[in-house]
Amino acid sequence: MKTHAVPRFVLAAAVVAAGLLAGQCGGGKKDQPVLHLYTWSDYIKPGLVSRFESENGCRVVIDTFDSNEAMYAKLKAGATGYDVITPTSYMVSLMHSQGMLRTLDHGLLPNLSHVDPDYLSIAIDKKMAYSVPYMLTNSGIAYLKSKVGNFAPTWGMFDRADLKGRMVMLNDMRETIGAALKFLGYSLNSTDPAELARAKDVVLGWKANLAKFENEQYKNGIASGEFLLVHGYSGDILQVQAENQDIAFAMPREGGAISCDDLVIARSAREVKLAHAYINFLHDPAVAAENTGFIQFLCPNKDSYGMLDRSIRENPGIFLAPEIRAKCEVLADLGEKNALYVKVWDDIKNGM
Amino acid sequence: MRRSRFPFIVTGLVLVFFYLPILILVVDSFNSSRFGGAWRGFSLKWYARLFHEPAVWESARNTLFIALLVTFVSLVLGTTSALALHRFSTSRLQRFHYTLVYTPLVVPEILMGISLLMAFVAAGIRLGILTIILAHVTFCVSYVALTVLGRLQDFDFTIVEAARDLGASSWVAARRVLLPMLAPGLAAAGLIAFTLSVDDFVITFFVAGPGATTLPIRVYSMIKHGATPLINALSTLLLALTFTTVLISQRLSASGALKSRTPE
Repeated sequence: MKTHAVPRFVLAAAVVAAGLLAGQCGGGKKDQPVLHLYTWSDYIKPGLVSRFESENGCRVVIDTFDSNEAMYAKLKAGATGYDVITPTSYMVSLMHSQGMLRTLDHGLLPNLSHVDPDYLSIAIDKKMAYSVPYMLTNSGIAYLKSKVGNFAPTWGMFDRADLKGRMVMLNDMRETIGAALKFLGYSLNSTDPAELARAKDVVLGWKANLAKFENEQYKNGIASGEFLLVHGYSGDILQVQAENQDIAFAMPREGGAISCDDLVIARSAREVKLAHAYINFLHDPAVAAENTGFIQFLCPNKDSYGMLDRSIRENPGIFLAPEIRAKCEVLADLGEKNALYVKVWDDIKNGM
Repeated sequence: MRRSRFPFIVTGLVLVFFYLPILILVVDSFNSSRFGGAWRGFSLKWYARLFHEPAVWESARNTLFIALLVTFVSLVLGTTSALALHRFSTSRLQRFHYTLVYTPLVVPEILMGISLLMAFVAAGIRLGILTIILAHVTFCVSYVALTVLGRLQDFDFTIVEAARDLGASSWVAARRVLLPMLAPGLAAAGLIAFTLSVDDFVITFFVAGPGATTLPIRVYSMIKHGATPLINALSTLLLALTFTTVLISQRLSASGALKSRTPE
C-alpha cells in the first residue's frame, strides 16, 4: 500500500526524536549525585571539571547565563535546581539581601585560608559569610606602544591633546565617572555631590579629546590602529593583545575599578555538601593556578600566585602590583544614590 | 514609456539587507582573526575548535531534540485546531477559540516566558527539557493553526465528500485525501514550528532548567568569555543545515505536487 509524504515525514521526525531521547537518558549513571552549576560560559578549565567529578564520584552539569540581571530575574521568579552560581559582587549583595543565598559552612571549606586577604580587604563580603571570590578582572588603559610617546600610567592620559580624536572611554557611567574620581583621589563609590561635580568637570575635559564613549568596537578599533589609546576591560584587551603585539595594557597608578565574580550557593540547592566541596576544590592553590592560566582572569588565591607562569605574573591585565591593587576598588551597588551618577552622566553626555 | 527602475532598486536593497549580514557572518567564520575588523587570512581553525567544544554539541543535541518533538506535537494539535476553526467558523465558540489561538502571537515574549515559569513553579513541575517543550508547543501551535487555516480557506471540500460518497470511511478519507492535499501547508507549518523552536531565546531562557541549556542560550552566554568566531562558525553550519532542509522540502513538495497531478 502506498504511503503518503506527510505521514512519512512525521514518522521520520518521531523516530529521530525517539533516538535522541534514548541518547538523552542513556547518558549518565543514575546513582551518582549531580552538582548543578549556573555560570558564565567557558568559566572553568574543562580538565578540572572531570578531575572534580572523579575525585568526588559525582557528575557536574553546567548551565550558562549571559547577564547577571537575566540570571537574577529567572531565580527570583522561582527557578530552582542550581547549586553553585557565580554572579558578580554587586549582584551577590542584592541576592543576599533577598535571602536567595545560603550561609557558607567554613568547616567544609578549609582552603579558604588561601584566599588573598589583600583582596578581601576591599571586597564587599569581607568575611566570606555567603560568597567566596572566584575571578578578578580590572579595567585600565590599553595603548599602541609605537604610536603613543611618553606613556605614563595615569588617567591623566585622556588630557593629552596630541591624541585628540584617537581615544575612547567606556560608555559606562560607573566606570568612566569612577576613573575621574580615582584621578582626583576620591573613592569610585563616592556619593558626595561636591566630589561628583569635580569628577564631572574632569570627564568633560577628557570628552573634548575623545572620539566617543563606547563598549564593544574599541577592541576592533585598537586592533586595527584606528584608536591609539582606549579605556577598557582587561579580559577584552588580553584577547586583542594576542593578535596585535603592539598593544600594551597598563593600570593607572591612581587605581581603578576591580570586578569580581563570586562563588555562592543557592538557598534552594539540593547538593549542599557537594557545592561546598566544589568551592573548596577551586581554592586549592594548584587548581586555582591552573584555572587562572586557562581563563586568564585572576583567582584571588595568595598561595597560587607563586605557581603562576611568569608571563601571567608580569601581565598587568591579569596580575596587579600589590601597591596598585591596594588603590583599586570594587564597584558597589549604590541603591538609591545611583541617581546621582545618572544625573552627572546625562550632563556629561549632553556636554553641560 | 520606459519602465520605472524604482521597484528594481527597492527589491535590490531589501535583498541586500536580508543577505549581506549573513554573508558577512559566513565570511568572518573563515577569518583567522577573532575580531571582525580586519581580514587576517583564511582559516578553518574556528571549525576545528568547534569540534572540541562538547558543551556546544550537548546544547545542539538538546535543541534538535526539543525542536523535533515540538514540531510533531504542535503539528498534530495545530492541525486539528485549524480543522475545527474552519469547519465551525460561524459558531461563537470557535470565534472565541480563534481569539485564544491568536493571542500568543501578540503576547510579548518576555511576558510569556515569565508567566510560564511562574506557572511551572506553582505547579511544582521540575524545570528541564520537558518544560521547554511545553513552552515551545504553546506558541508554535498558534503558528501552525493559522498557517494550516490559511490553506483550508481555499480547500475544496467537495473532494473529501466525493471520497465519502465512493465509500471511504471518514478516517480513510482524511488520511488518503485530506492529509495529502494539505501536505504543502503542513510542511510549511512544520518548518515554521521547527525554526521558531530552534531560534527561541527569551522564553527558553526562563523555562530552561538545570541540564537543559539550548543552543541560543549557549551562544548568548559565549559572548562574554567565549570566542565570537566560534559562534560565526556554528551559525554557518546551522545555515547550511537550514538551507539544505528547505531545499529538500521544496524538492519533496514539488515532486509531490507533480505526482498528484498525474492520472493513476
